[in-house]
Amino acid sequence: MATIAGRPAAAADAMSWEIPRDKPLLVRVGRPWLRNPAGLIGLIIVAVVVFLAIAGPYISPYDPRQLDAQSRFQTPSGEHWFGTTQFGQDIFSRIVYGARLSLGFGFAITIVGFIPGTILGIVSGYFGRWVDYLIQRSAEAWGSFPLLPILLTLIAAIGPGLKAIIIVVAISALFSGSRLLRAVALIEKHKDYVLAARSTGATELRVVVRHVLPNIMPYILVGLSSVFAVAVLAEATLSFLGLGLEQGEPGWGIDLAQGRQRAAEYPHLVIFPGLAISLAVLGFNLLGDTLRDILDPRLRGTT
Amino acid sequence: MLRYTLRRLAWLPIILFGVSAIAFFVLRAIPGQDPAAAIAGQGATEVQLERIRSDLGLQRPVVVQYFDWLGNLVRGDFGHEFKTASSTGATSGLPIREQFMERFPESFQIIFLGLFFSVVFGISFGILSAMHRNSPIDYFVRFFAVLASSIPEFFLLTLMIILPLYFWNYSQPVGGYVPFYDNPMHYIRLMLPPALIIGVGGSAGLMRLTRTTMLEVLLSDYVRTARAKGLRQHTVVLSHALRNAGTPIVTAVGTAFIAVFGGSIIVESVLSIQGLGQWFFISTLARDLPVVQFLTVYTAFIVVLVNLTVDLSYGFIDPRVRYS
Repeated sequence: MATIAGRPAAAADAMSWEIPRDKPLLVRVGRPWLRNPAGLIGLIIVAVVVFLAIAGPYISPYDPRQLDAQSRFQTPSGEHWFGTTQFGQDIFSRIVYGARLSLGFGFAITIVGFIPGTILGIVSGYFGRWVDYLIQRSAEAWGSFPLLPILLTLIAAIGPGLKAIIIVVAISALFSGSRLLRAVALIEKHKDYVLAARSTGATELRVVVRHVLPNIMPYILVGLSSVFAVAVLAEATLSFLGLGLEQGEPGWGIDLAQGRQRAAEYPHLVIFPGLAISLAVLGFNLLGDTLRDILDPRLRGTT
Repeated sequence: MLRYTLRRLAWLPIILFGVSAIAFFVLRAIPGQDPAAAIAGQGATEVQLERIRSDLGLQRPVVVQYFDWLGNLVRGDFGHEFKTASSTGATSGLPIREQFMERFPESFQIIFLGLFFSVVFGISFGILSAMHRNSPIDYFVRFFAVLASSIPEFFLLTLMIILPLYFWNYSQPVGGYVPFYDNPMHYIRLMLPPALIIGVGGSAGLMRLTRTTMLEVLLSDYVRTARAKGLRQHTVVLSHALRNAGTPIVTAVGTAFIAVFGGSIIVESVLSIQGLGQWFFISTLARDLPVVQFLTVYTAFIVVLVNLTVDLSYGFIDPRVRYS
């Protein structure tokens, strides 16, 4: 490993304001948040996507899979807000259901990859030693490879479908979660409240679960938003390439790929699905970036 | 320095050995996957499958197949494609080595051009943003960086093809590679738009990192000294500050390279560029295992090589760096 002897004096960025610890967490994070337009935009976008995903069946005007030979290639109108596909399906309804699919995929990744990753990260940062070494080296090795070739290799082995994408993206989330939370745990474990909790005779497990965990919750949210951004993007990309969701399913990547053939005549076929992917990913990115800047500028670039 | 370089170089074959083993066993040892069936296509009889298996040596233990393949790889024999076997009736398809040589130049050019624009956009806008911190320029650059890392490349590439056609009836040439010296104008029309899009995508991380690093460096003592000597702004920024921000920036260039390299699969597939990325994609679709194996190892080779180059370049940029 290359080491740098004598780095230039690290001048603090102006963003590193200290948040008073006596205020509730919501106030500590909320106030700088509202002052930040980027954070606000991110919050609104994510709220809309979550709303669409939850309220999907109630607000979508049509069945997203319903074929209708009478209304193919319709441009946006009062009847079909985002127009219709080459099969006459209502694009707005498909976008709404696509939000469901994308967020569902993100949740799957969170449960099988990110949450185990955070636990691993806290354990390795807090207790250190060889576990830490092993996890860090694996995370580094994995992180140096681009995701797409790994995905293609696995798909060649086990066939196309969501399974391969979940495996690869979950491993990524596992490592990125462990890296972020390790860095946080390393800082937290030297703080006074940990010492105070220990001095009352609390067991290590209790210290971690009851004291450290609530304090690092916001960092977990930072990691979570980047996990969702990566998950949405990965699913859309692979579905776009025809290696993810099955044809006909209302996914943003699939719709974009299907609309491509006739998009030169009907740009709305690709513009709405493309905007949906871009905005959702943008929302998660803005949310994560803002939260990270507010919490701790030192963590920039760890996710 | 020399010892460090040699030690890192010694690791190269070990890493490649590991990656090749993982790739081979993942591709071959997962049950329910019969390469012979993939070659023969649907409706093949058991006798035909048996023949293909024995012709290609697939009935042997996987470990034996692996070392056989690895031995050939080391000697420069990359094996043959699966997919053409059934159509030509021969037992094995086109040699992978020839295909690789044919496809490499196109990939190389698209990746190189994309990386070039990534570096140009990333570093110049990053510096600009740091110099005019908290000004509209800074906000614009930062917003642009988030945008560039959020909009998927395949969407931009699709727009690149359809919007000019829709609005101006201009058709962006797709596929049909022509070397620069044969038809410079066509080459530019073909390569420049995708290269710019890849450049924008790859520049986001570089922009942010250049900005943060330059902010740090611009506040340091030696920059103040340089300013106090009365040096001009661009001398201070470009030769004093940038040089000292070099190490993290080179790291980010390495990261951008890997990103552009991975993204070339999408770019080449969308634009029908007959390069290595598109080959990876179509071979995955066709489950052409020898090609996928080979390209996985090739990818690992490139990744390790880029990381090694980045690490070794630290010493040239910053003489304070000590290798151990």
